[in-house]
Amino acid sequence: MKVIIKNWTGVATWKWIANDDNCGICRMPFDGCCPDCKLPGDDCPLVWGECSHCFHMHCIMKWLQSQQVNQQCPMCRQEWKFNNK
Amino acid sequence: MSGRQLKRKTTIKQSGDESDKIANSSYVTIINNSESKPVSTDVLGRNEFYQVIEIIKKLNLMDTIHDLIIKNVEKYVCNTVVVECWMCITGSNSEAENFQNFHKAMVTLYNYYLLLLSALLSQLPLDYKKSVRHFYEVGLKYEENRGTESSDELCSNCGSNSNCICAQYFYEANSILLELGLLEPLASQILTTTIYDYIENHVETTCKDRFDVSFLTPLQKWLEDVIIKWLRKIYTCDYSNKEISKFNKKLINFMYEIYTKVRINQLFGIIIEYPDSISALQDLKTCLSKTDLRPYLTRKLQKSMETRLLHTGVSTPDILTAYVATIRSMRVLDPSGLLLGTITQPIHQYLRSRDDTVRCVVSSLTEEGPSDLADELIKGEALQTDENTPSDDEEINWENWLPDPVDADPNKPLANNRRTSDIISMLVNVYGSRELFVNEYRTLLADRLLTSLTCDTEREIRYLELLKLRFGDAQLHYCEVMLKDIVDSKRITQNIKHDLSSSGENDIPISSMILSAQFWPAFKEEKCELHPNVDEQMKKYTACFETLKGNRTLYWKKHLGLVDLDIELPDRTMNLYSVTPIHATIILHFQDKSQWHLDELSRIMQVPPTVLRRKIGFWESQYLITQVSPDIFQLVEISAKGNLNVLREIIVEDESESAMASTQDQREEELQTFWSYVTGMLMNLDSLPLERIHQVLKMFAFQGPTTECSLQELKHFLDRKVREHQLVYSNGYYKLPKS
Repeated sequence: MKVIIKNWTGVATWKWIANDDNCGICRMPFDGCCPDCKLPGDDCPLVWGECSHCFHMHCIMKWLQSQQVNQQCPMCRQEWKFNNK
Repeated sequence: MSGRQLKRKTTIKQSGDESDKIANSSYVTIINNSESKPVSTDVLGRNEFYQVIEIIKKLNLMDTIHDLIIKNVEKYVCNTVVVECWMCITGSNSEAENFQNFHKAMVTLYNYYLLLLSALLSQLPLDYKKSVRHFYEVGLKYEENRGTESSDELCSNCGSNSNCICAQYFYEANSILLELGLLEPLASQILTTTIYDYIENHVETTCKDRFDVSFLTPLQKWLEDVIIKWLRKIYTCDYSNKEISKFNKKLINFMYEIYTKVRINQLFGIIIEYPDSISALQDLKTCLSKTDLRPYLTRKLQKSMETRLLHTGVSTPDILTAYVATIRSMRVLDPSGLLLGTITQPIHQYLRSRDDTVRCVVSSLTEEGPSDLADELIKGEALQTDENTPSDDEEINWENWLPDPVDADPNKPLANNRRTSDIISMLVNVYGSRELFVNEYRTLLADRLLTSLTCDTEREIRYLELLKLRFGDAQLHYCEVMLKDIVDSKRITQNIKHDLSSSGENDIPISSMILSAQFWPAFKEEKCELHPNVDEQMKKYTACFETLKGNRTLYWKKHLGLVDLDIELPDRTMNLYSVTPIHATIILHFQDKSQWHLDELSRIMQVPPTVLRRKIGFWESQYLITQVSPDIFQLVEISAKGNLNVLREIIVEDESESAMASTQDQREEELQTFWSYVTGMLMNLDSLPLERIHQVLKMFAFQGPTTECSLQELKHFLDRKVREHQLVYSNGYYKLPKS
């Protein structure tokens, strides 16, 4: 007997590879989206800082815009730099 | 004296001419006797009299004797009655005297008339009514058949055909009655009841089980053409036109009432056949405004709903169909919505007691079913836009404004017309909550998307848009994401497949549905290890995904999905579509090794043996695997004909399983999240009453679109915890047990 699989449609859920489940700013899950967004994933991506903390991109941008003096990571107070890995 | 004379008569009976004369005189004597001393006739004389009559009968002299009597009566009238009357009139010249005399003459005459009439009426036979009734019924039948009767049809009364003179007889008898002034005292009451019965009968037979034709005008015409015409014929000149038309009005009113009652009794059937029975409803509407049968209608309809619809024997979709039909027909019947409110109240209550109502509503909304709610949904669009400009609408239609029905409660203003006419919101309101409805929709949608991968996303998106118009974006946002996931995963799969095939590692073509877990309802968790080859391929797929979408990875729900496969056997090839991954994995394992012990396979696949055995059943039904000895399964490459009979008896497992966790399981999980809040609360505050716990939970825990918990439900949940010894309940306060 020979079994030939013509097509195998599996079901999977996607997940961000991050060291936390929730965004430290909006407290929403990373796999969801930030409060301003409707669609998760590509439309509401995550960004990582050099301090290894990550947030919804929209959340950290809003945070950084509100910081006039020096732009720090809201979690560790280090200077915020995008980690372009 | 009379005795002697009679004797004489009997002796002379044969003597030709003379007999007449003698008989004559003897009868005159009898009449005279009975008039002068009717009571004093002795017993002997009476007996003799009857004997004589017997003899006369025997001799066939009845006719002669009869004629004689009439002659004598005539003579009596001429000689006595008339003379007595006209004797009063003397040839006087005085005006006053003549006036007096004429009056006296008339009174005397009238006294005789009264005598005659009272004699007639006092001896009415007991069943004269029946006879009169039959007489008029036959007459009425003639009248009705007059127009339609063909010449060769037999008369139902006398049995003769073309030249039947019954009708003629009828009118003759009738005019005699009229002329004698006997029509009123003798027949009028019977005539009325006859007509009423006749109308009732006619209405009932004509309207039986025909809902698609309006009967009001034909009935009215019939009444005019048959009954009224006939009445006019009967009363010819006696009644003035005014009186006939008064009676006419009465009859029309009566007909309306009968017709309304007939229709009300049929109302349930009319409702069920709604779009076809619109004329019957229109009729009923007209009739209701002319009669006062609304309470009767409400009572009747509710009763028939109870006996025919609202019991366990009727399936929920059927009830829903009937419900929708009811709403639509009541809309025709009573635009104010009052009837609708009263009638549908019991249906509401009943539907609420059924578990599958929401599910049925949702599925009938999204599928083209018999209740065509989908159409209603599309129509809803227009309704919704209307609501933005209500003032214009009302001003245009001001001429059609109707006051509320009289039985409306003035304290409770009628619900907005537009609201009551919106079937979908009524259906959704059966449960009182949009959330519940939307959640059910979400689960059903998820199920449809995952179990049938051929699912028409375009159509789903269209429905979703329609639903959004009604329920708002916020409620259905989750569903939107779900649909987007499906569309996206098609694209991603395309990409990855391309990558994989270009690198030549594509021995098992894998597609995937990549879901955003946060937005989907909870999945039913089942453990299942796939065949290593497939697993391998999935890992490659995941790797591809990770490179495609940086920093994201995939978690496979291995038990979910669908597999298309070909099985090549020495003697045949099987093409199987849409088998579940577990089934596919089983057959893949059998490909490697043709005999498996159940426990062994269960260990490798990490599926409990009981479940596994059920799943193997599927392949057994395909004649591919057979159980050679307890718990040992063997692959059958060449199907032995002899085995088929045995194999056929294997029951194929029910495949229609939902991929989603059941609502109950989900609810359980939700409540479980509250548990941590509750323990936290009780740890800090020692003991709390139920209401307080509910309040606090409301403040902190009930957030998000799905989490809501009634006081009742919370009590239920906490009481269970008490039973499980995780809580202590005393004096209305909940406490944590001292450990």
